Amino acid sequence: MYGGGNTFEDVKTDDVVLEDPNRLAVFEARIARGEKIEPADWMPELYRKQLIRMIEQHGHSEIIGALPEGTWITRAPGFKRKMALMAKVQDEVGHAQLLYSAAETLGKSREQMIDDLITGKSKYSNIFNYPTFTWADCCFISWLVDAGAIVNQLANAKGSYGPYCRALDRICAEESFHLKYGHHCVIYLAAGTAKQREMFQEALNRWWPPMMHFFGPSDKISTHTEVLMRWKVKMGTNDEMRNQFLDMYVSKIWELGFIIPDPKLKKNTETNTWEYTEPDWEEFKRVINGDGPCNKERLEVRRIAEERGRWVRKALASPKMAYVTPLA
Amino acid sequence: MNSLDPRVIRLPKTGEPGIIQPKVPLDQFGSFEVFVQPKEGKSFQHEGVVHSPNLELAYILAKETFTRRFTCVSLYVVETRNVFASPLTDGNNNVYDLIVDPPPSNKKEPYEIYHLPKRGKQHIHVGQVEAGSPEEAMSFARKKFNTKIIYNVWAVKSADIRFTSIEENDFWITLPEKHFRDAADYKGGDKLKLFLEKQK
Repeated sequence: MYGGGNTFEDVKTDDVVLEDPNRLAVFEARIARGEKIEPADWMPELYRKQLIRMIEQHGHSEIIGALPEGTWITRAPGFKRKMALMAKVQDEVGHAQLLYSAAETLGKSREQMIDDLITGKSKYSNIFNYPTFTWADCCFISWLVDAGAIVNQLANAKGSYGPYCRALDRICAEESFHLKYGHHCVIYLAAGTAKQREMFQEALNRWWPPMMHFFGPSDKISTHTEVLMRWKVKMGTNDEMRNQFLDMYVSKIWELGFIIPDPKLKKNTETNTWEYTEPDWEEFKRVINGDGPCNKERLEVRRIAEERGRWVRKALASPKMAYVTPLA
Repeated sequence: MNSLDPRVIRLPKTGEPGIIQPKVPLDQFGSFEVFVQPKEGKSFQHEGVVHSPNLELAYILAKETFTRRFTCVSLYVVETRNVFASPLTDGNNNVYDLIVDPPPSNKKEPYEIYHLPKRGKQHIHVGQVEAGSPEEAMSFARKKFNTKIIYNVWAVKSADIRFTSIEENDFWITLPEKHFRDAADYKGGDKLKLFLEKQK
């Protein structure tokens, strides 16, 4: 899964002016031809920085995203659901490994990425700062948060950076199981007892606002986003991604007889876009900046895991080893 | 820590929240390149990277990271620093045109050769040469495998690779049995249809 959306601070586009115009022309022509950029190719600093940030955040989101679901493994209803959820959580952590490696090819070390996650310097998907109160919350994540992630990931897989695209191809293939599994869980709740239906309706009420936040605030087309879109770093606006998600999943939620807690939600057939109550972006900002229900817990669990693993890593360290930036 | 998760509450108190001793270099170990053979008779291809304290553990981690799911019959790993990479070219520029012949050497050893035939795709194993150095391996590879435009070549000394042994060949035979990891095992259609009919 991945909490997409452009929520990061702005990078100055002025830097692009300082790049070597000949090399920049070759770089842009390569992307325009639909060719991928590889680690050994020349690339503008802005491209490198933005990609590191994006891929790293994606990796962190996989690691942190495993926590609200992982907590339900022992309490998942039945052996089969436990097996599936365990496999899903293992996948998410595996995805983080793939993504960290892709970010490393751009020159940031894994040590630095982990440090930056724990100190709060790097962000991760905001949605994982909310708690999973019941099994139904866990099902919401498996189905709909993963669905949102897939919308983002399929778009990003058509981007220009080779190692990121290859990692995403692998990730998307594995996510198809997550999505089907999540939908399966929700169908069983929907077709279950009144209590089970109520459980999912309550989860939907809790998770809808963060789900709308998930794709990030409306991004005005600035010079900055234009450059990133031309370089195929950003593959669509946040609103386009949100709209695509609503197009694909609102009818599926309605089909199960659940009520989406937004009276204004409807599709405008003329513009072919969804209308909805403007999400509370003040809350979004507040949570991103650390004041959400679970921010502290998520980072604290991560930090304690790092601290407790330190002696193991130290015991395994060998002076004969060397770190070399991954090749592809 | 106040949490809904009893396992989180049980975590021992360690250090200060938000403060982490900055990681030392190699805290996350060395880097290794992973190659997978998807099917019997198909070539090995580059799949990605793992971090590991040694070659043997890299093999195990690679197995967990890259071969949990898709059909796979074999796997091997090599330290990233033991992969000798040519420059990267594009368009009609064959990378083999850039490779020069080094002075001949006496002692020959087998080297594995990998090609990048399409930018954006993976490196694919094309075969083996006997050479005295990676440079010489590339030069011999030019004579042996230079049939179409290639954008990047890797040469790896076979002795540096941790291969799958014959006894380990059965690692992947249970993969098709793990239905719980397969999207096809979560068909909710019938249940959904029944539910929708009841709603009418």
